[in-house]
Amino acid sequence: MNVVRTTGLTKRYGPLAALDGVSVELAENTIHGLLGRNGAGKTTLMKILTGQARETGGTAEVFGQHPYENAGVLSRICFVKESQHYPEKFRVKHALRAAELLYRNWDGAYAAALLADFAVPEGQLLGKLSRGQLSAVGVTIGLASRAPLTLFDEPYLGLDAAARQLFYDRLLADYAEHPRTIVLSTHLIDEVGDLIEHVVLLDRGRVLIDADAESLRGDAVAVTGPADAVERFAAGCDELHRERVGGSLRVTLTGAPDRLAPGLDFEPVSLQQLVVRTTQRHGGAVAAGKETR
Amino acid sequence: MTRVRDVARIQLVHWPALLAYPLGFVAAMPLLGLAIDVSNGETAGGPHEIYLLPALWGMAAAGHLQSMTQVFPFALGLGVTRRTFAAATALVVTAQALFLGLVLVAFGAVERATGGWGREARLFGLGVVRQDGPVTQWLAYTGPIVAVSAICVLAGVVFQRWRQTGMYLAVLGSAAVLAGFGALAKAQRWWPSIGAFLGAQPSLTLFAAGPLAIAVALGGLAWLVLRRATV
Repeated sequence: MNVVRTTGLTKRYGPLAALDGVSVELAENTIHGLLGRNGAGKTTLMKILTGQARETGGTAEVFGQHPYENAGVLSRICFVKESQHYPEKFRVKHALRAAELLYRNWDGAYAAALLADFAVPEGQLLGKLSRGQLSAVGVTIGLASRAPLTLFDEPYLGLDAAARQLFYDRLLADYAEHPRTIVLSTHLIDEVGDLIEHVVLLDRGRVLIDADAESLRGDAVAVTGPADAVERFAAGCDELHRERVGGSLRVTLTGAPDRLAPGLDFEPVSLQQLVVRTTQRHGGAVAAGKETR
Repeated sequence: MTRVRDVARIQLVHWPALLAYPLGFVAAMPLLGLAIDVSNGETAGGPHEIYLLPALWGMAAAGHLQSMTQVFPFALGLGVTRRTFAAATALVVTAQALFLGLVLVAFGAVERATGGWGREARLFGLGVVRQDGPVTQWLAYTGPIVAVSAICVLAGVVFQRWRQTGMYLAVLGSAAVLAGFGALAKAQRWWPSIGAFLGAQPSLTLFAAGPLAIAVALGGLAWLVLRRATV
Protein backbone atom coordinates (compact mmCIF):
# COMPACT_ATOMS: atom_id res chain seq x y z
CA MET A 1 0.00 0.00 0.00
CA ASN A 2 1.23 3.49 -0.82
CA VAL A 3 1.23 6.15 1.87
CA VAL A 4 2.15 8.94 -0.56
CA ARG A 5 1.15 9.41 -4.17
CA THR A 6 1.86 12.50 -6.24
CA THR A 7 0.93 12.99 -9.86
CA GLY A 8 2.43 15.77 -11.95
CA LEU A 9 3.06 17.77 -8.80
CA THR A 10 4.20 21.30 -9.57
CA LYS A 11 5.16 24.20 -7.34
CA ARG A 12 6.09 27.52 -8.86
CA TYR A 13 7.55 30.59 -7.20
CA GLY A 14 7.06 33.15 -9.95
CA PRO A 15 9.02 31.94 -12.96
CA LEU A 16 10.94 29.36 -10.91
CA ALA A 17 9.59 25.81 -10.80
CA ALA A 18 10.64 24.29 -7.48
CA LEU A 19 8.75 21.14 -8.48
CA ASP A 20 8.05 20.37 -12.10
CA GLY A 21 5.68 17.47 -12.69
CA VAL A 22 6.80 15.21 -9.87
CA SER A 23 5.06 11.84 -9.83
CA VAL A 24 6.17 9.47 -7.08
CA GLU A 25 4.70 6.78 -4.88
CA LEU A 26 6.05 5.99 -1.43
CA ALA A 27 5.18 2.58 -0.05
CA GLU A 28 4.05 1.96 3.50
CA ASN A 29 6.52 0.75 6.15
CA THR A 30 9.59 1.61 4.12
CA ILE A 31 12.56 3.91 4.63
CA HIS A 32 12.68 6.21 1.63
CA GLY A 33 15.69 8.31 0.76
CA LEU A 34 14.80 11.65 -0.78
CA LEU A 35 18.00 12.76 -2.42
CA GLY A 36 19.14 15.63 -4.54
CA ARG A 37 21.30 18.71 -4.60
CA ASN A 38 20.49 21.99 -2.91
CA GLY A 39 17.48 23.52 -4.63
CA ALA A 40 16.39 20.19 -6.10
CA GLY A 41 12.92 20.53 -4.57
CA LYS A 42 13.19 18.07 -1.67
CA THR A 43 12.01 20.44 1.05
CA THR A 44 9.26 21.84 -1.17
CA LEU A 45 7.96 18.32 -1.80
CA MET A 46 7.99 17.53 1.91
CA LYS A 47 6.28 20.80 2.75
CA ILE A 48 3.44 19.96 0.39
CA LEU A 49 3.16 16.43 1.75
CA THR A 50 2.92 17.80 5.29
CA GLY A 51 0.38 20.50 4.50
CA GLN A 52 2.82 23.35 5.10
CA ALA A 53 2.59 24.59 1.53
CA ARG A 54 0.19 24.15 -1.39
CA GLU A 55 1.05 22.89 -4.82
CA THR A 56 0.59 25.04 -7.91
CA GLY A 57 -0.50 22.10 -10.04
CA GLY A 58 -0.88 18.33 -10.04
CA THR A 59 -2.13 16.26 -7.15
CA ALA A 60 -0.73 15.09 -3.83
CA GLU A 61 -2.26 12.37 -1.71
CA VAL A 62 -1.13 11.24 1.72
CA PHE A 63 -2.99 8.31 3.25
CA GLY A 64 -5.33 8.62 0.28
CA GLN A 65 -6.30 12.26 0.87
CA HIS A 66 -4.99 15.72 0.20
CA PRO A 67 -2.95 16.74 3.24
CA TYR A 68 -3.55 20.51 3.31
CA GLU A 69 -5.60 21.40 6.40
CA ASN A 70 -6.60 17.76 6.71
CA ALA A 71 -6.53 17.00 10.43
CA GLY A 72 -7.06 13.28 9.88
CA VAL A 73 -3.98 13.08 7.68
CA LEU A 74 -1.72 15.56 9.46
CA SER A 75 -2.25 13.98 12.87
CA ARG A 76 -0.41 10.94 11.48
CA ILE A 77 2.57 12.93 10.20
CA CYS A 78 5.68 14.19 11.96
CA PHE A 79 7.94 16.54 9.99
CA VAL A 80 11.39 17.24 11.41
CA LYS A 81 13.19 19.83 9.38
CA GLU A 82 16.63 21.29 9.48
CA SER A 83 15.30 24.84 9.63
CA GLN A 84 12.85 24.10 12.44
CA HIS A 85 12.51 27.06 14.77
CA TYR A 86 11.39 26.33 18.29
CA PRO A 87 9.68 28.81 20.60
CA GLU A 88 12.66 30.39 22.30
CA LYS A 89 11.11 30.38 25.74
CA PHE A 90 10.32 26.68 25.55
CA ARG A 91 12.58 24.27 27.34
CA VAL A 92 13.47 20.90 25.84
CA LYS A 93 10.90 19.21 28.06
CA HIS A 94 8.21 21.61 26.80
CA ALA A 95 8.88 20.66 23.18
CA LEU A 96 8.66 17.00 24.14
CA ARG A 97 5.48 17.63 26.10
CA ALA A 98 3.96 19.29 23.04
CA ALA A 99 4.79 16.27 20.92
CA GLU A 100 3.39 13.98 23.61
CA LEU A 101 0.08 15.84 23.52
CA LEU A 102 -0.19 15.48 19.75
CA TYR A 103 1.04 11.96 18.94
CA ARG A 104 -0.95 9.03 20.16
CA ASN A 105 2.01 6.64 19.74
CA TRP A 106 4.40 8.91 21.63
CA ASP A 107 6.93 6.98 23.74
CA GLY A 108 8.08 9.20 26.58
CA ALA A 109 10.58 6.73 28.00
CA TYR A 110 12.18 6.30 24.60
CA ALA A 111 12.36 10.08 24.15
CA ALA A 112 14.08 10.45 27.52
CA ALA A 113 16.54 7.72 26.60
CA LEU A 114 17.32 9.41 23.28
CA LEU A 115 17.91 12.75 24.96
CA ALA A 116 20.27 11.05 27.39
CA ASP A 117 22.09 9.39 24.50
CA PHE A 118 22.52 12.75 22.78
CA ALA A 119 23.46 14.38 26.11
CA VAL A 120 20.76 17.06 25.80
CA PRO A 121 19.49 18.33 29.19
CA GLU A 122 15.70 18.29 29.42
CA GLY A 123 15.54 21.48 31.43
CA GLN A 124 17.58 23.57 29.01
CA LEU A 125 15.97 26.48 27.16
CA LEU A 126 15.71 25.67 23.45
CA GLY A 127 17.00 29.14 22.63
CA LYS A 128 20.22 28.32 24.45
CA LEU A 129 20.95 25.02 22.69
CA SER A 130 23.70 24.59 20.12
CA ARG A 131 22.80 23.76 16.51
CA GLY A 132 23.69 20.12 17.10
CA GLN A 133 21.62 19.90 20.28
CA LEU A 134 18.63 21.41 18.45
CA SER A 135 19.03 18.77 15.76
CA ALA A 136 19.11 16.13 18.49
CA VAL A 137 15.82 17.46 19.87
CA GLY A 138 14.29 17.23 16.39
CA VAL A 139 15.56 13.71 15.90
CA THR A 140 14.22 12.73 19.33
CA ILE A 141 10.76 14.10 18.53
CA GLY A 142 10.76 12.44 15.11
CA LEU A 143 11.70 9.03 16.44
CA ALA A 144 9.67 9.05 19.67
CA SER A 145 6.52 10.30 17.90
CA ARG A 146 6.30 6.96 16.07
CA ALA A 147 4.10 8.79 13.57
CA PRO A 148 2.93 6.52 10.72
CA LEU A 149 4.65 8.94 8.32
CA THR A 150 7.79 10.60 9.63
CA LEU A 151 9.81 12.96 7.46
CA PHE A 152 13.34 14.03 8.33
CA ASP A 153 14.62 16.93 6.26
CA GLU A 154 18.38 16.98 6.73
CA PRO A 155 17.99 16.49 10.47
CA TYR A 156 21.69 16.14 11.21
CA LEU A 157 22.92 19.75 10.98
CA GLY A 158 25.49 20.36 13.67
CA LEU A 159 25.58 16.72 14.75
CA ASP A 160 29.06 15.23 14.78
CA ALA A 161 29.82 11.89 13.14
CA ALA A 162 29.26 9.91 16.33
CA ALA A 163 25.89 11.57 16.98
CA ARG A 164 24.80 11.00 13.38
CA GLN A 165 25.70 7.33 13.66
CA LEU A 166 23.72 7.19 16.89
CA PHE A 167 20.73 8.60 15.02
CA TYR A 168 21.05 6.04 12.22
CA ASP A 169 21.42 3.18 14.71
CA ARG A 170 18.43 4.26 16.77
CA LEU A 171 16.36 4.85 13.64
CA LEU A 172 17.07 1.40 12.29
CA ALA A 173 16.50 -0.33 15.62
CA ASP A 174 13.22 1.48 16.29
CA TYR A 175 12.05 0.99 12.72
CA ALA A 176 12.65 -2.76 13.05
CA GLU A 177 10.53 -2.82 16.19
CA HIS A 178 7.90 -0.35 15.04
CA PRO A 179 7.71 -0.38 11.23
CA ARG A 180 6.43 2.84 9.72
CA THR A 181 7.00 5.01 6.69
CA ILE A 182 10.07 7.18 6.97
CA VAL A 183 11.27 9.74 4.45
CA LEU A 184 14.86 10.80 4.95
CA SER A 185 16.13 13.75 2.99
CA THR A 186 19.89 14.02 3.14
CA HIS A 187 23.08 14.99 1.40
CA LEU A 188 25.11 12.46 3.33
CA ILE A 189 24.17 9.63 1.02
CA ASP A 190 27.01 7.30 1.90
CA GLU A 191 26.07 7.48 5.56
CA VAL A 192 22.48 6.41 4.96
CA GLY A 193 23.19 4.18 1.98
CA ASP A 194 22.60 1.00 3.98
CA LEU A 195 19.53 2.42 5.68
CA ILE A 196 17.29 3.38 2.83
CA GLU A 197 15.19 0.90 0.92
CA HIS A 198 13.83 3.15 -1.78
CA VAL A 199 15.41 6.11 -3.52
CA VAL A 200 13.83 9.18 -5.04
CA LEU A 201 16.36 11.48 -6.64
CA LEU A 202 15.18 14.97 -7.50
CA ASP A 203 17.05 17.47 -9.62
CA ARG A 204 15.75 20.91 -10.45
CA GLY A 205 12.23 19.88 -9.53
CA ARG A 206 12.13 16.68 -11.57
CA VAL A 207 12.46 13.04 -10.64
CA LEU A 208 15.67 11.48 -11.96
CA ILE A 209 15.55 8.21 -10.06
CA ASP A 210 12.61 6.48 -8.44
CA ALA A 211 13.73 2.97 -7.68
CA ASP A 212 14.36 0.30 -5.13
CA ALA A 213 17.77 0.93 -3.49
CA GLU A 214 18.90 -2.67 -3.74
CA SER A 215 18.28 -2.92 -7.46
CA LEU A 216 19.99 0.45 -7.96
CA ARG A 217 23.11 -0.74 -6.21
CA GLY A 218 23.18 -3.91 -8.31
CA ASP A 219 22.42 -2.16 -11.56
CA ALA A 220 25.36 0.23 -11.69
CA VAL A 221 28.95 -0.71 -12.22
CA ALA A 222 32.23 1.11 -12.86
CA VAL A 223 34.34 -0.47 -15.60
CA THR A 224 38.03 0.35 -15.90
CA GLY A 225 40.52 -0.81 -18.51
CA PRO A 226 42.12 -0.01 -21.86
CA ALA A 227 40.00 2.60 -23.61
CA ASP A 228 39.19 0.44 -26.65
CA ALA A 229 38.10 -2.53 -24.57
CA VAL A 230 35.96 -0.36 -22.29
CA GLU A 231 34.38 1.37 -25.29
CA ARG A 232 33.46 -2.01 -26.78
CA PHE A 233 32.01 -3.23 -23.50
CA ALA A 234 30.07 -0.05 -22.85
CA ALA A 235 28.44 0.03 -26.27
CA GLY A 236 24.68 -0.23 -25.86
CA CYS A 237 24.76 0.39 -22.10
CA ASP A 238 23.44 3.44 -20.31
CA GLU A 239 26.51 5.50 -19.54
CA LEU A 240 26.43 7.82 -16.56
CA HIS A 241 29.98 9.06 -16.44
CA ARG A 242 33.43 8.59 -17.89
CA GLU A 243 36.91 9.71 -17.04
CA ARG A 244 40.07 9.10 -19.00
CA VAL A 245 43.57 8.83 -17.53
CA GLY A 246 46.16 8.36 -20.27
CA GLY A 247 45.17 5.29 -22.28
CA SER A 248 42.90 3.99 -19.55
CA LEU A 249 39.19 4.66 -19.40
CA ARG A 250 36.79 4.37 -16.47
CA VAL A 251 33.11 4.36 -17.27
CA THR A 252 30.13 4.20 -14.92
CA LEU A 253 27.31 2.22 -16.49
CA THR A 254 23.88 0.91 -15.77
CA GLY A 255 22.27 -1.99 -17.57
CA ALA A 256 25.51 -3.87 -18.26
CA PRO A 257 24.49 -7.40 -19.32
CA ASP A 258 27.36 -9.25 -17.61
CA ARG A 259 30.46 -8.33 -15.71
CA LEU A 260 32.90 -10.71 -17.23
CA ALA A 261 35.31 -9.38 -19.79
CA PRO A 262 39.04 -10.07 -20.01
CA GLY A 263 41.30 -7.15 -19.14
CA LEU A 264 38.55 -5.07 -17.53
CA ASP A 265 38.04 -4.30 -13.85
CA PHE A 266 34.50 -4.13 -12.47
CA GLU A 267 33.70 -2.26 -9.26
CA PRO A 268 30.38 -1.72 -7.56
CA VAL A 269 29.15 1.86 -7.52
CA SER A 270 28.10 3.37 -4.22
CA LEU A 271 24.70 4.98 -3.96
CA GLN A 272 26.38 8.35 -3.56
CA GLN A 273 28.40 7.87 -6.74
CA LEU A 274 25.31 6.77 -8.59
CA VAL A 275 23.39 9.83 -7.43
CA VAL A 276 26.26 12.18 -8.28
CA ARG A 277 26.80 10.68 -11.72
CA THR A 278 23.10 10.64 -12.53
CA THR A 279 22.72 14.25 -11.49
CA GLN A 280 25.76 15.30 -13.50
CA ARG A 281 24.49 13.53 -16.59
CA HIS A 282 21.29 15.54 -16.41
CA GLY A 283 23.13 18.81 -16.56
CA GLY A 284 24.44 19.29 -13.04
CA ALA A 285 27.73 21.04 -12.43
CA VAL A 286 30.75 18.96 -13.44
CA ALA A 287 33.87 18.72 -11.36
CA ALA A 288 36.97 20.14 -13.03
CA GLY A 289 38.96 17.65 -15.09
CA LYS A 290 36.06 15.26 -15.48
CA GLU A 291 34.46 14.36 -18.77
CA THR A 292 30.78 13.55 -18.86
CA ARG A 293 28.43 12.44 -21.54
CA MET B 1 -12.19 19.43 20.39
CA THR B 2 -9.56 17.33 22.17
CA ARG B 3 -6.92 18.44 19.69
CA VAL B 4 -7.95 22.10 20.10
CA ARG B 5 -7.57 21.71 23.85
CA ASP B 6 -4.18 20.03 23.43
CA VAL B 7 -2.91 22.81 21.16
CA ALA B 8 -4.19 25.36 23.69
CA ARG B 9 -2.15 23.55 26.33
CA ILE B 10 0.91 23.81 24.08
CA GLN B 11 0.36 27.56 23.82
CA LEU B 12 0.17 27.67 27.61
CA VAL B 13 3.45 25.81 28.03
CA HIS B 14 5.04 29.22 28.37
CA TRP B 15 2.39 30.31 30.85
CA PRO B 16 4.38 33.14 32.47
CA ALA B 17 3.94 35.37 29.40
CA LEU B 18 0.21 34.74 29.22
CA LEU B 19 -0.66 34.55 32.91
CA ALA B 20 2.12 35.21 35.40
CA TYR B 21 3.44 38.48 34.00
CA PRO B 22 -0.04 40.07 33.64
CA LEU B 23 -1.00 38.81 37.10
CA GLY B 24 2.20 40.21 38.52
CA PHE B 25 1.39 43.54 36.91
CA VAL B 26 -2.13 43.55 38.39
CA ALA B 27 -0.70 42.78 41.80
CA ALA B 28 1.86 45.57 41.42
CA MET B 29 -0.68 48.14 40.20
CA PRO B 30 -1.51 49.52 43.68
CA LEU B 31 2.19 50.07 44.35
CA LEU B 32 2.73 51.58 40.92
CA GLY B 33 -0.25 53.84 41.53
CA LEU B 34 1.24 54.92 44.85
CA ALA B 35 4.56 55.66 43.16
CA ILE B 36 2.77 57.77 40.55
CA ASP B 37 0.86 59.65 43.22
CA VAL B 38 4.03 60.28 45.22
CA SER B 39 5.85 61.51 42.15
CA ASN B 40 2.90 63.80 41.36
CA GLY B 41 2.60 64.97 44.95
CA GLU B 42 -1.02 63.80 45.14
CA THR B 43 -0.87 61.55 48.20
CA ALA B 44 -3.13 63.85 50.16
CA GLY B 45 -5.41 64.71 47.24
CA GLY B 46 -9.10 63.84 46.89
CA PRO B 47 -10.71 61.18 44.64
CA HIS B 48 -8.58 60.62 41.61
CA GLU B 49 -8.04 58.03 38.86
CA ILE B 50 -4.79 56.45 37.68
CA TYR B 51 -4.84 54.93 34.19
CA LEU B 52 -2.69 51.82 34.36
CA LEU B 53 -5.29 49.41 32.96
CA PRO B 54 -4.33 50.00 29.28
CA ALA B 55 -0.79 48.82 30.09
CA LEU B 56 -2.27 45.58 31.37
CA TRP B 57 -4.15 45.09 28.09
CA GLY B 58 -0.89 45.32 26.16
CA MET B 59 0.95 43.06 28.56
CA ALA B 60 -1.75 40.40 28.43
CA ALA B 61 -1.85 40.51 24.63
CA ALA B 62 1.91 40.40 23.93
CA GLY B 63 2.12 36.67 24.63
CA HIS B 64 -0.25 35.95 21.74
CA LEU B 65 2.11 37.66 19.32
CA GLN B 66 4.75 35.17 20.39
CA SER B 67 2.29 32.29 20.01
CA MET B 68 1.64 33.20 16.39
CA THR B 69 5.25 33.81 15.37
CA GLN B 70 6.94 31.01 17.33
CA VAL B 71 4.51 28.36 18.55
CA PHE B 72 2.49 28.26 15.31
CA PRO B 73 5.40 27.17 13.03
CA PHE B 74 6.48 24.63 15.63
CA ALA B 75 2.96 23.21 15.94
CA LEU B 76 2.51 22.99 12.18
CA GLY B 77 5.55 20.70 12.03
CA LEU B 78 3.83 18.47 14.57
CA GLY B 79 0.84 17.93 12.30
CA VAL B 80 -1.48 20.65 13.66
CA THR B 81 -3.79 22.30 11.14
CA ARG B 82 -4.10 26.05 10.87
CA ARG B 83 -7.78 25.74 11.74
CA THR B 84 -7.02 23.86 14.96
CA PHE B 85 -4.33 26.37 15.92
CA ALA B 86 -6.70 29.28 15.28
CA ALA B 87 -9.45 27.68 17.39
CA ALA B 88 -6.95 27.00 20.18
CA THR B 89 -5.78 30.62 20.03
CA ALA B 90 -9.35 31.87 20.33
CA LEU B 91 -9.82 29.58 23.32
CA VAL B 92 -6.64 30.79 25.04
CA VAL B 93 -7.39 34.47 24.36
CA THR B 94 -10.91 34.16 25.74
CA ALA B 95 -9.91 32.13 28.79
CA GLN B 96 -7.01 34.44 29.62
CA ALA B 97 -9.17 37.56 29.29
CA LEU B 98 -11.96 36.09 31.42
CA PHE B 99 -9.46 35.03 34.08
CA LEU B 100 -7.74 38.41 34.20
CA GLY B 101 -11.14 40.12 34.15
CA LEU B 102 -12.12 38.14 37.23
CA VAL B 103 -8.90 39.10 38.99
CA LEU B 104 -9.59 42.75 38.16
CA VAL B 105 -13.08 42.43 39.68
CA ALA B 106 -11.49 41.10 42.86
CA PHE B 107 -8.93 43.91 42.99
CA GLY B 108 -11.70 46.40 42.30
CA ALA B 109 -13.57 45.06 45.35
CA VAL B 110 -10.44 45.44 47.48
CA GLU B 111 -10.04 48.97 46.15
CA ARG B 112 -13.55 49.88 47.23
CA ALA B 113 -13.16 48.17 50.60
CA THR B 114 -9.97 50.08 51.36
CA GLY B 115 -11.37 53.45 50.32
CA GLY B 116 -9.20 53.62 47.23
CA TRP B 117 -6.05 52.14 48.83
CA GLY B 118 -6.46 54.53 51.73
CA ARG B 119 -6.22 57.67 49.61
CA GLU B 120 -9.30 57.68 47.34
CA ALA B 121 -7.28 56.46 44.37
CA ARG B 122 -9.07 54.54 41.63
CA LEU B 123 -6.90 52.19 39.56
CA PHE B 124 -9.51 49.50 38.90
CA GLY B 125 -12.80 51.30 39.38
CA LEU B 126 -12.18 53.87 36.65
CA GLY B 127 -15.31 55.88 35.97
CA VAL B 128 -15.56 54.96 32.30
CA VAL B 129 -15.33 51.23 33.02
CA ARG B 130 -17.36 51.08 36.21
CA GLN B 131 -20.48 48.91 36.17
CA ASP B 132 -23.17 48.30 38.75
CA GLY B 133 -23.03 44.51 38.95
CA PRO B 134 -20.06 42.17 39.29
CA VAL B 135 -20.92 40.23 36.10
CA THR B 136 -21.19 43.32 33.91
CA GLN B 137 -18.04 44.65 35.56
CA TRP B 138 -16.29 41.38 34.70
CA LEU B 139 -17.37 41.72 31.05
CA ALA B 140 -16.24 45.35 30.92
CA TYR B 141 -12.77 44.35 32.16
CA THR B 142 -12.60 41.38 29.79
CA GLY B 143 -13.65 43.10 26.56
CA PRO B 144 -10.61 45.37 26.03
CA ILE B 145 -8.19 42.53 26.82
CA VAL B 146 -9.81 40.38 24.12
CA ALA B 147 -9.73 43.22 21.58
CA VAL B 148 -6.06 44.11 22.16
CA SER B 149 -5.17 40.40 22.08
CA ALA B 150 -6.91 40.14 18.70
CA ILE B 151 -4.75 43.01 17.41
CA CYS B 152 -1.62 41.12 18.55
CA VAL B 153 -2.85 37.87 16.99
CA LEU B 154 -3.47 39.67 13.70
CA ALA B 155 -0.03 41.31 13.85
CA GLY B 156 1.58 37.93 14.53
CA VAL B 157 -0.22 36.31 11.64
CA VAL B 158 0.72 39.14 9.26
CA PHE B 159 4.36 38.77 10.32
CA GLN B 160 4.19 35.00 9.93
CA ARG B 161 2.90 35.28 6.39
CA TRP B 162 4.61 38.39 5.00
CA ARG B 163 7.38 39.07 7.50
CA GLN B 164 8.74 42.60 7.98
CA THR B 165 7.33 43.84 4.68
CA GLY B 166 3.84 42.85 5.78
CA MET B 167 4.27 44.51 9.16
CA TYR B 168 5.51 47.77 7.65
CA LEU B 169 2.66 47.83 5.16
CA ALA B 170 0.08 46.93 7.81
CA VAL B 171 1.26 49.63 10.22
CA LEU B 172 1.59 52.29 7.52
CA GLY B 173 -1.72 51.28 5.96
CA SER B 174 -3.54 51.38 9.30
CA ALA B 175 -2.00 54.75 10.13
CA ALA B 176 -2.99 56.10 6.72
CA VAL B 177 -6.58 54.87 7.09
CA LEU B 178 -6.89 56.33 10.61
CA ALA B 179 -5.30 59.62 9.58
CA GLY B 180 -7.51 59.79 6.52
CA PHE B 181 -10.60 59.17 8.58
CA GLY B 182 -9.50 61.77 11.11
CA ALA B 183 -8.96 64.35 8.39
CA LEU B 184 -12.31 63.51 6.79
CA ALA B 185 -14.11 63.73 10.12
CA LYS B 186 -12.50 67.09 10.80
CA ALA B 187 -13.30 68.44 7.34
CA GLN B 188 -16.90 67.26 7.60
CA ARG B 189 -17.19 68.41 11.24
CA TRP B 190 -18.15 64.90 12.34
CA TRP B 191 -16.19 64.89 15.62
CA PRO B 192 -18.94 66.49 17.76
CA SER B 193 -21.45 63.96 16.43
CA ILE B 194 -19.01 61.09 16.97
CA GLY B 195 -18.31 62.30 20.49
CA ALA B 196 -22.01 62.63 21.22
CA PHE B 197 -22.70 59.17 19.81
CA LEU B 198 -19.97 57.53 21.91
CA GLY B 199 -20.98 59.50 24.97
CA ALA B 200 -24.56 58.29 24.59
CA GLN B 201 -23.51 54.63 24.55
CA PRO B 202 -23.77 52.61 27.74
CA SER B 203 -20.37 51.87 29.25
CA LEU B 204 -20.99 48.14 28.78
CA THR B 205 -21.36 48.69 25.03
CA LEU B 206 -18.08 50.59 24.87
CA PHE B 207 -16.08 48.17 27.00
CA ALA B 208 -17.67 44.79 26.30
CA ALA B 209 -19.85 44.60 23.18
CA GLY B 210 -17.74 47.01 21.12
CA PRO B 211 -14.36 45.40 21.86
CA LEU B 212 -15.86 41.97 21.36
CA ALA B 213 -17.16 42.99 17.92
CA ILE B 214 -13.73 44.40 17.06
CA ALA B 215 -12.08 41.19 18.26
CA VAL B 216 -14.39 39.06 16.13
CA ALA B 217 -13.69 41.22 13.06
CA LEU B 218 -9.90 41.17 13.60
CA GLY B 219 -9.99 37.47 14.43
CA GLY B 220 -11.81 36.78 11.17
CA LEU B 221 -9.25 38.83 9.30
CA ALA B 222 -6.44 36.95 11.06
CA TRP B 223 -7.97 33.66 9.99
CA LEU B 224 -8.12 34.79 6.35
CA VAL B 225 -4.39 35.53 6.51
CA LEU B 226 -3.50 32.43 8.54
CA ARG B 227 -5.26 29.90 6.34
CA ARG B 228 -2.68 30.46 3.59
CA ALA B 229 0.34 31.03 5.82
CA THR B 230 3.34 28.82 5.24
CA VAL B 231 6.33 28.17 7.49
